[in-house]
Amino acid sequence: MSEQSKDLSDPNFAAEAPSSEVHSSPGVPEGVPPSETLAEPQSPPLGPTAAPQAAQPPQAPSDEDDPKALQQAAEEGRAHQAPSAAQPGPAPPAPAQLVQKAHELMWYVLVKDQKKMIIWFPDMVKDVIGSYKKWCRSILRRTSLILARVFGLHLRLTSLHTMEFALVKALEPEELDRVALSNRMPMTGLLLMILSLIYVKGRGARESAVWNVLRILGLRPWKKHSTFGDVRKLITEEFVQQNYLKYQRVPYVEPPEYEFFWGSRASREITKLQIMEFLARVFKKDPQAWPSRYREALEEARALREANPAAHCPRSSVSED
Amino acid sequence: MQGSTRRMGVMTDVHRRFLQLLMTHGVLEEWDVKRLQRHCYKVHDRNATVDKLEDFINNINSVLESLYIEIKRGVTEDDGRPIYALVNLATTSISKMATDFAENELDLFRKALELIIDSETGFASSTNILNLVDQLKGKKMRKKEAEQVLQKFVQNKWLIEKEGEFTLHGRAILEMEQYIRETYPDAVKICNICHSLLIQGQSCETCGIRMHLPCVAKYFQSNAEPRCPHCNDYWPHEIPEVFDPEKQREAGISKSNKKSLRSRQH
Repeated sequence: MSEQSKDLSDPNFAAEAPSSEVHSSPGVPEGVPPSETLAEPQSPPLGPTAAPQAAQPPQAPSDEDDPKALQQAAEEGRAHQAPSAAQPGPAPPAPAQLVQKAHELMWYVLVKDQKKMIIWFPDMVKDVIGSYKKWCRSILRRTSLILARVFGLHLRLTSLHTMEFALVKALEPEELDRVALSNRMPMTGLLLMILSLIYVKGRGARESAVWNVLRILGLRPWKKHSTFGDVRKLITEEFVQQNYLKYQRVPYVEPPEYEFFWGSRASREITKLQIMEFLARVFKKDPQAWPSRYREALEEARALREANPAAHCPRSSVSED
Repeated sequence: MQGSTRRMGVMTDVHRRFLQLLMTHGVLEEWDVKRLQRHCYKVHDRNATVDKLEDFINNINSVLESLYIEIKRGVTEDDGRPIYALVNLATTSISKMATDFAENELDLFRKALELIIDSETGFASSTNILNLVDQLKGKKMRKKEAEQVLQKFVQNKWLIEKEGEFTLHGRAILEMEQYIRETYPDAVKICNICHSLLIQGQSCETCGIRMHLPCVAKYFQSNAEPRCPHCNDYWPHEIPEVFDPEKQREAGISKSNKKSLRSRQH
């Protein structure tokens, strides 16, 4: 939802790119390797969820003719020419090998996302791209294309600072609880309960408040649950690790207390309207029973619709089909 | 590999959402998959008739072929329930797990896998697995930790635990069959009927051929005198019932109803 791609079109960001051992960090192509043109998928992407949306982190043009982008690539190339100018560089790999790498990367990203793990660029290079580092831009681009065409997912650089990627749905957001597949529901319900509490409070929810709410579901911090297992570990560690929640110490309070906030992933994947719908269902009230929150939720829904005019109208979650 | 564009025309948002959700859930049972399919149609193409599941999936697989992945259908070894997962055909290692587990944890899995494959029943006891903890690669792991790691495998649907013994989850078999057959070509057992990898099953006491429980159920269905397809000797084991999705749903899916039909060699 937050358009990180803005940063990527700024040629200056190349200068900020951290010079770690990852030589070819996103957006900093080391010149334009000759294999680029060979590996390039020449055919324009098909389908509505195609390349223009797929914010490929190395903001390389899908169309090599774009003069501005070429200039940018040249600038960035020059900026980093120094290290690689000395060696002639290895022979470019066969296109088929780059394609294979793209497929491996696609699978890697899909599995990471399935496990709700962070997709970290240095990991991508270490685990998949390896010695093809020099061509990671074209590999990344092909992977993004495949993911968009086949899965309807965008591989988006969510944070240049931490070099994290995320797989974002290019299709309209689905309602979490609609796809009520039993093995997912409990976790989703539990998480939604906590997120709703935080949302309704309008600020962080103290751990004690969260446990008061979970008590309604029969959950206690010290008791193991047949479905959830160690609930405390689940909400303070696993959900946090998956970026659905933030668990932070309340400052200046003794003895130490902790509070929960929405995690970045929750903000990306869950809309306020979904929370309102959840609340309405659980408490059997009209969403208007939380007037200011409901207004906020409608606002957000409107902003989302305006930000994505090409997408279908997001389903109105309250008035159900 | 420009050829992949040839097939792209058949992917619609219905298929994309289906793939996304299938991937998200890892492994799904058939009735969940059908529900998922209907949901995807509902979201994107309400008025279309829902394709038959098999055709729907074959359609998607024709697109996935060039990517070396496919939606694979398998059957649980204990009670014949059909399951589906998106699997990577190109991998020859347990790479799907590799992103999730540390080196010593992966090695623990490998050790458990070997014990399972070598065993007669397809089950490896917790004790035997834990005794191998000292031989693990990577950071040293204590038995207590190893117990928890084994539980993690169960939660992530790589292993199933029954009465202190472990066997492979249907999902693991689906995803790793190729790897297992390549890595343990001498130790693997194959089902005489379907010719797929066999971990749990029944065996003929005379000639030693093996069959999956669901394969036994189908092969000997309404046969009063079951005989070994290979040596014709009387088949000594209890013949399980063929999996019936309708009956299963009506009865409610209670795990306690499932008898553990593990075959035993004398």
